[in-house]
Amino acid sequence: MTNNQTSKQIEGIDPILVTIFQRTFRAITDEMSISLTKTTRSPILCEAKDFVTGLYDEQGNMLEQTENLPILSFSLGPVCKEIIRQYGNDIQEGDVIIHNDVFSMGNQNNDVAIFKPIFFQGLLVGWSAAKGHQADIGGAVQGGYNPNATEVWQEALRIPATKLYEAGILRKDVWNLIFANIRLQMVQEDIKAQIGACTLGERRLAAHVKKYGLDVFLRHKIALFDATEKMMRSEIQRIPNGSYLGDSRVYYDGKHPGSQFTIQAHITVEHEDITFDFSRSSAQTKGFVNGTYTSTCSAITLTFLQMVDPNIPHNEGMIRPLHYVVPEGTILHASYPAATTFGNHLCPQVADAIFKALGPAVPDRITAGWNHLLCSLFTGNHPVTGRKYVDICFLGLKGGSGALQGCDGYDHIGMIDASGGVLDQDYEMYEHQTPHLLRKHEYLQDSAGPGKWRGGMGTYTEIELRGPDTTMVVFGDGDVEPNYGLFGGKGSVLNRITLDYPNGETVVPKSKDIIDNIPHGTVYKQIAGGGGGYGLPAERDTLSLANDIGNELISLEQARKEYGWKQ
Amino acid sequence: MKYKIGIDIGGTFTDLIAIDGKGNALVHKILSTPHDPSEGFVQGLRELAQMAQMSFPDFLAQVDGIVHGTTVATNALLTLRGAKTALITTQGFRDALEMRRGVREERYNNRYVNVPPLAPRHLRFTVDERTESNGNVIKALDVADLEPIVAAIRKQKVEAVAICFMHAYRNADNERKAVEYLRAQWPEGHADTPFITASHEVLPSIRFYERVSTTVVNAFVGPIVSRYFHKLLEQLREIAYHGPLLVMQSNGGVVSPDVVTKIPAVTVLSGPAAAPTAGAWYAQRMGWANCITVDMGGTSFDAALVVDNQCITSTDGSINRYRVALPSLDIVTIGAGGGSIGWINQGGLLQMGPQSAGAMPGPVCYGRGGLLPTCTDADVVLGYLNPGFFAGGHMNLDKVKATKAIDQNLGQPLGLDTVQTAAGMYRIINSNMAQGVRQISIERGFDPREFLFIVAGGAGAIHAGEICRELEIPMFLVPNVSSIFCAAGMLLGDLKHNYIRSFYTSFSHLDKNRFLELFMEMEARGLAQLAAEGVPVSQVERRPVLDMRYQGQYHEVQLDCDWHDIVNLHLTAIFDAFHTEHNRQFGYSLREENTEMELINLRLQVVGMVEKPKFTLSGSAALSASEARKEWREIYLPGSAHMQQVPIYDGDLNICGATLHGPCIVEKVTTSILVPETHDCQVDTLGSFIVYQKGMESVLGLVELGTIHATTE
Repeated sequence: MTNNQTSKQIEGIDPILVTIFQRTFRAITDEMSISLTKTTRSPILCEAKDFVTGLYDEQGNMLEQTENLPILSFSLGPVCKEIIRQYGNDIQEGDVIIHNDVFSMGNQNNDVAIFKPIFFQGLLVGWSAAKGHQADIGGAVQGGYNPNATEVWQEALRIPATKLYEAGILRKDVWNLIFANIRLQMVQEDIKAQIGACTLGERRLAAHVKKYGLDVFLRHKIALFDATEKMMRSEIQRIPNGSYLGDSRVYYDGKHPGSQFTIQAHITVEHEDITFDFSRSSAQTKGFVNGTYTSTCSAITLTFLQMVDPNIPHNEGMIRPLHYVVPEGTILHASYPAATTFGNHLCPQVADAIFKALGPAVPDRITAGWNHLLCSLFTGNHPVTGRKYVDICFLGLKGGSGALQGCDGYDHIGMIDASGGVLDQDYEMYEHQTPHLLRKHEYLQDSAGPGKWRGGMGTYTEIELRGPDTTMVVFGDGDVEPNYGLFGGKGSVLNRITLDYPNGETVVPKSKDIIDNIPHGTVYKQIAGGGGGYGLPAERDTLSLANDIGNELISLEQARKEYGWKQ
Repeated sequence: MKYKIGIDIGGTFTDLIAIDGKGNALVHKILSTPHDPSEGFVQGLRELAQMAQMSFPDFLAQVDGIVHGTTVATNALLTLRGAKTALITTQGFRDALEMRRGVREERYNNRYVNVPPLAPRHLRFTVDERTESNGNVIKALDVADLEPIVAAIRKQKVEAVAICFMHAYRNADNERKAVEYLRAQWPEGHADTPFITASHEVLPSIRFYERVSTTVVNAFVGPIVSRYFHKLLEQLREIAYHGPLLVMQSNGGVVSPDVVTKIPAVTVLSGPAAAPTAGAWYAQRMGWANCITVDMGGTSFDAALVVDNQCITSTDGSINRYRVALPSLDIVTIGAGGGSIGWINQGGLLQMGPQSAGAMPGPVCYGRGGLLPTCTDADVVLGYLNPGFFAGGHMNLDKVKATKAIDQNLGQPLGLDTVQTAAGMYRIINSNMAQGVRQISIERGFDPREFLFIVAGGAGAIHAGEICRELEIPMFLVPNVSSIFCAAGMLLGDLKHNYIRSFYTSFSHLDKNRFLELFMEMEARGLAQLAAEGVPVSQVERRPVLDMRYQGQYHEVQLDCDWHDIVNLHLTAIFDAFHTEHNRQFGYSLREENTEMELINLRLQVVGMVEKPKFTLSGSAALSASEARKEWREIYLPGSAHMQQVPIYDGDLNICGATLHGPCIVEKVTTSILVPETHDCQVDTLGSFIVYQKGMESVLGLVELGTIHATTE
């Protein structure tokens, strides 16, 4: 059958119903997502929305997902297939399966998934799933980011696919075993919330199958996959055939100061198919700066989705024309039992390599470099409440996105792995929930990479750290090499974190570091850089430039030096 | 013969309703006058006088109250034509307003840009002052620091100034000092005097972004709304109207214009807020405590909820991506309307909207140059709309053009015939609207099947049957005055004043005196305001709300409480209610675990109950169904998927008590109702159309309504 015919009516398929199915699947995963936002406790979940909800068919094919944070989104399907392979016929109604294992398709140790099988008249028809970044997952360091780790067990508790409930009965011993190895009670509550969201998805999909009947459901599901595949294929067709190369660098593995690694994308476009081959990337590191197969595939997918029609539904059909080659043993797919917690944060470099590779082919679809993540996580005791707190400092980490043809970058958006899905804490709530005082959180003047279209603005954040027992874990990158501009545009400023101690000493942490016993009154300062610019700065439209100068986003000095401003 | 008048001024039409003491209604609709809406206001009154066959002064002398809904603030926000606005805020936080916490709503769309800030960065000034989270001032404001800012404001000819300082909800000393200083810099009432507003006056609650955004929105719409009401009051004085004027707020209540000119942001949803208010009244009258109101217009579809006779309010709202955290009715708006355009995506799948042909060029069948097939075109092709009787025959619809557009753009590529394609368009837009209803009900933890479904607005009644089928809602109601439903709703709104005080504490450390003090202070303010509006204390209701959560959670539940429980500190009753509510919304509670609970905000809504007008249907004696039948026409039956001849009834005749058997169409000048083949329709004593699944009469208690003796064909 040629593609021209697929849009015609196929026997037994109601094309209208296909659209309705897609809308319904999306409504279900959205509803699951709202439920999780409202019930979870860890700010990483309910404030920053570091989770994904999805529905899959009986073979683990993606029906739809709500991707609050894209980087952990595209590993649910592969894990679902892994579960089906592992359990075979031993899947019953009422089962709840938990999973985080990065050596069986998990993307990151902290990203824990819950799956529930969905049955119709005794027959397995699909799965609902929710995966979220947990506040703790055991291992040597609270919060999971251990820059000293060299093996997975120093990072986390490994949970291969395990039944928490069997046919509706809680396996109390299994539950206890798992949570005896996780520090915070909160994680149990958040897992309960994930199970709740999956139950919601289970009920709604089962009701949908009942309403239309199994046969109609199956046939229209396939038609939906086919139609979506066709959309993706026609997008790929707009990229000229060819073979494209792009690379980027990763700095410091947490173990060896000065260490440097390369990520290389070799992209082949053949008509309606695209292959992303990262075989030529560096070998895996000895530290925790290593990707997993699914974190890398997610990074590839989310980057490519930014280059195509944003309205393509997210289901199995969307992925079919995308092909991934990420060999084991590379920095993007470390072999057992490597430490890998940093792997999600290789996404910016993977994105850079893809954009750089495809730039010459589709200059209107790529962006200049986004700001790379540099992040800190604080733990300590709150002197007023007497409680322990864990806080990822989202306030400090959000830099700008890269500019693209015809459009400035997005200011203060944060890393590309989240693409504006992660929010700052509210300033006033932050000062209630931690003992610290937020002194400044503003755009940083001249942080946008200059260009005809400038990069998104970076930020400057200053916090007075208060209270006893403050520990800071730092993880990230972007403090060595400036991000890139395109077609004459320039890069932005580097990321930087400093601690000014009350005794006058200044400490600059490494990009992967743990610093404890930070004294009360220490001032934390962070620069999150902007995005890279696109096109020659001298060609920037005068009105936009005048506005940026008037708004003090660009100084007169930078305007004169970079943009040739004459006034 | 005293009249109460409701006037709803929208972007296109101004709807008016006048009701006399016996419940007789005069209903009128004129074109709006967007350059100066007060013109249309007065013109509408004049025309009502003519309809009442009275001289204008005589008529006005008989009017003892006007309630007004306005889209002045809404449109300023939608079109970004508000005041030139400055913001003064705490040093270090110049960009909170523009950053919006760093969200990009469309994750994968790199061309999706941020909204322009309502106060641009060069008009955002910071001052060196600071209050801590416990209310302690660590840096007092030095008003001398405001001098250069005042100079800049003068130089830049700023029209509105918002002031928002960190933790001002807890201690507003610094903010108050700044406001007093600023207001003293300009003579009151002078043309150059900017509109000045501070966060502790607008929304004294925790969460800086919500507060700064709401305060700036208030400033941005302030001068325009103030000017409008100034002008309107002047015009009303000129025509010698001396009765009261009340304004509809976003929260579904009404207030006097002086409150609106201080906090104009309370009117950002002034128009649509009336629909659920009217819905609550209709539902209650029929013995229902719960209803969903839907309003399908040209480009958008609004859905709202009434639970236990109360409209659901929310503080999560935003308009045009600008956050307004004042309590307002929870209204979900999606891009589906008569003008929604049908198109085929790259995967070959049919889609409807959100792009809309609007009123210009409009649907293809309007013959005003529209070329793309819309929902209305599909409705014509399917026989639901009568090409010769659209808007009562004032406008002819071109069915041939509609057919051609559907065939060429959609039918041929899909390989479907005209009717199949139009039916597909019909189903998809219905499915989209059903998702909107699902969002407002199921996602808020409510089962829509337990709600009376009320359809306002012209196009909705053709689609309601299918929306209900998708959600398994057994019946829907189309009010007789559906097209001016909102204007009628305005007469049903009580006076409502909302107050909020942040009080962040765990219950185990609750300072009970302060808790009571804050409530008493809010109550006193509310009573004083209502007294000024002429409401006696006996007519006042107090509705307290506690924003609570389990310790460790981030998102709070707004718990409706009993005033009695609050003043008597019946905490156990409050805790019990909280567990129950948490369980209802999220499927679990931590009652057994005895988990500590926290308080975030105290809220009080002080309500002055107003007397509701009576609605009755006047005119000739009721006709039977067959007497009201005007013709037969072929329409598409959505359930059995084929075209069939069905009777068409004249819905503008008095057919109270009649039962109309589906399938059929009821045509009114302002709306058409599709009664599907699976449904029947009864007409109640107010002339409302109740469409229900066949055989459900007794279940729904409809027998009671057929008091005028039901006639069947």
